[in-house]
Amino acid sequence: MVQEMEKEIIFEAKHMRKEFGPTIALKDVDFTLRRGEIRGLVGENGSGKSTIMSIASGMQPATKGEMFYKGQPWKPASMVEAQDAGISMILQEANTIPGVTVAQNIFSGHEAEFSKFGVINMVKMKKAAQKVLESFGVGHIKAGDLIDRYTFEDRKLVELVRCVTENTEILVVDETTTALSLEGREILYKLIHKMADQGKGIVFVSHDMDEILEQCTDLTVLRDGDIIGHLNRQEMDAADAVKNIRYMMVGREIGDKYYREDYDTGHQEEVALELQDVSLGRIEHFNLKLHKGEIIGMGGLSGCGMHDVGRIAYGLEKLSGGKVIRNGKEIKTPLQAINSGIGYISKNRDTEALILNGPIQDNIVLPSIPALIRKTFISPKAEKKLSDAEIGNYRIKCHGGKQYVNTLSGGNKQKVSFGKWTAKGSEVIIMDCPTRGVDIGVKQAMYTLIEEMKKQGKAILMISEELSELIGMADRLIIMKDFAVTHTVERSPELKQTDLIEYMI
Amino acid sequence: MTAIAQEQEKQTLVQWLKKHGSTAASLGGLIFCIVFFSITTGIKGESIWSGDKLSTLIGDVIVTALMAVGAVFIYSLGNMDVSIGKQVGLYSTMLVLIGNATGSLLPGILACIAVAVIIGIINGAAGELLHMYSVISSVVFMMVISGITTIIYSNVGSKNIILSGVDLSFFRSPVNMVIVLVIEYLIIGYFFYFTKFGKYARAIGANQTAAAQSGVNIIKYRVIPYIFLAFCLVTASLFQMGYTGAASDATGTGFEMNVMVSLILGGMPLKGGMKSRLSCAVIGALTFSLLAVGLPIIGVPTRMTFMIKALIFLVVVLITCRQKTGPLPR
Repeated sequence: MVQEMEKEIIFEAKHMRKEFGPTIALKDVDFTLRRGEIRGLVGENGSGKSTIMSIASGMQPATKGEMFYKGQPWKPASMVEAQDAGISMILQEANTIPGVTVAQNIFSGHEAEFSKFGVINMVKMKKAAQKVLESFGVGHIKAGDLIDRYTFEDRKLVELVRCVTENTEILVVDETTTALSLEGREILYKLIHKMADQGKGIVFVSHDMDEILEQCTDLTVLRDGDIIGHLNRQEMDAADAVKNIRYMMVGREIGDKYYREDYDTGHQEEVALELQDVSLGRIEHFNLKLHKGEIIGMGGLSGCGMHDVGRIAYGLEKLSGGKVIRNGKEIKTPLQAINSGIGYISKNRDTEALILNGPIQDNIVLPSIPALIRKTFISPKAEKKLSDAEIGNYRIKCHGGKQYVNTLSGGNKQKVSFGKWTAKGSEVIIMDCPTRGVDIGVKQAMYTLIEEMKKQGKAILMISEELSELIGMADRLIIMKDFAVTHTVERSPELKQTDLIEYMI
Repeated sequence: MTAIAQEQEKQTLVQWLKKHGSTAASLGGLIFCIVFFSITTGIKGESIWSGDKLSTLIGDVIVTALMAVGAVFIYSLGNMDVSIGKQVGLYSTMLVLIGNATGSLLPGILACIAVAVIIGIINGAAGELLHMYSVISSVVFMMVISGITTIIYSNVGSKNIILSGVDLSFFRSPVNMVIVLVIEYLIIGYFFYFTKFGKYARAIGANQTAAAQSGVNIIKYRVIPYIFLAFCLVTASLFQMGYTGAASDATGTGFEMNVMVSLILGGMPLKGGMKSRLSCAVIGALTFSLLAVGLPIIGVPTRMTFMIKALIFLVVVLITCRQKTGPLPR
């Protein structure tokens, strides 16, 4: 490893400020990245961590401030310009081009390398792309296939392959790992360490504290558009590092209480939701009984079938066999599910759970509209009252219910999708990846809320790719692999992630 | 005023413009047309606000506005109906034929409502049930109705039929026209803003998957807006036929484009969704009719008025389509 004193500064931002209308995303930030560093950036949603690097990588301009890249003033006009100069960024959202091949995605913007007289040699491009894919260890992705054939995870890996070239000097990984499975993450970790060893600079933005502490060499903590502090490896290894970082991020004592502290797996006798011998695609004869006051956690790799179970339980899928039963009645559609008191938070928050291009109020009251109707009239006052109550309950950071959801940070968006179902008074809540892309302050609030729901006798089916939160929250944990249950275990203080991973892979 | 206060005021203005940009632009366009034609037609000595011209203007606005108010529901879904013009043509023909046969408008109105509702239900449901763009079913209806109209007029043996024996003076009064438009606007406005029908339609237009997962019955609430449109089309047909007392095989031709241009000029988001507003229909129809009536008065030849209207339409569509999230309706 290159010694601290010898590390050359590769990127520097001075007095960087970014405003989005009245919102100040970055106040007056000084940020430095040195060669050989894997610098983690952590902070709550809306703290400005993604904004710094999106400016550095040409996605948007700063309102004020200067940037220097390899010692020269730096003001990229676009992401392409930044990438050509050696700064690449992998984003949280899907960023591949649909309807074309993997190879075309990888060499998008570089078609000239394979062109003669204006005609692209697709065979040559495909071969070159396959070679690159192999070199990244993702040879299972075929360069000639349409990108649409691949899962979100594989497309993320294609993005990685596209972003990182021999010219790349700085790689920004912006909350990408939430979309990747363990295997995908390993590929990414290996790559960033290799790049750091080659003297390149890595900026790693993540909400996953364990991941940050394991992978990064340095850490910068942001809060409300300001840099709160920096930690070196030694400080990150300190016993109370996590507690300190959380304090820096949130600005108050988070406390040790994060997940549930009790190990009481008790629940009411009454079954709140039952999946009887359910079959759909590769899921065959699946059974599940969720009781009132019980939290069932479902874990596994992203393609193991657990997300399908959530959709089945909510009546979103037409079953080839079996039944979903609630209060003695069969659930076949989401409308029947809602009317019987079931709520569902999709893992695809932005595309399925929320109307992004709509006000917070309209999103929160949408499932509750039938209850608000008086004859045919829906009172705007009643809508506002219902929405304002949820905005207050969840402390959603907004100017009011009329603010559009697409202007909120990820955590606040997720609070809106929770608010929809608490406003409706749902008794059974199916949560698919409820804390995906949510910072620790909000996560803690959500865990407290889930625990509160259990105490109120609500039944919760919590599907998650984060084993730690399942272990921390669930009364009963079901692990799935290849569309079947491989392990079921009760809540216990002895339960460790390592005990469960073997059933997942 | 301090520099900070000035900056804040500037920010507030920018925010307001971002939020209400399309409203400001559409209202601005209407105000510009009013001012422009008030001055230019005044100079030409044939003021657009004279009793005669105002009556022509209202007569021109009314049919488009009555159709457009209903069409807002369809556009809010992110849909488009290109059979509107042919439907108005068919209902006008039915009103004349049944009116002549029975000596009253009522049986014709009831028959038109029945046909319009059936067409609406099929139009609304086909897209969702057959997994195709809903505009396709409206294209089919446009062609089918065109064929039916041709058969009717070839059987009648004339390209023009006149209603006789029925008093149509109600439909020729500009005051009545305005009153009916206001009543229709209030009724549709109530359903659009204060009932589940409008709220669900806008939610479907904004994000159908999220709406479905929130318990909205997609087929049902895709069909209901077409039923509202059906009533509006029959009302528009009454005024269309009532104004002239006749119908022809060309009645209604191109009306769907008038509706579309009016809505776009009125600031209707082409993708539908939460920003859909009913006022777009009236603002747009007024702007469109001001152009139609005002341009010939100031000496622009008829063929040129079409060009100018097409140019304005093109510019508005280009501006709208340049928005990242603003695809054309389906």
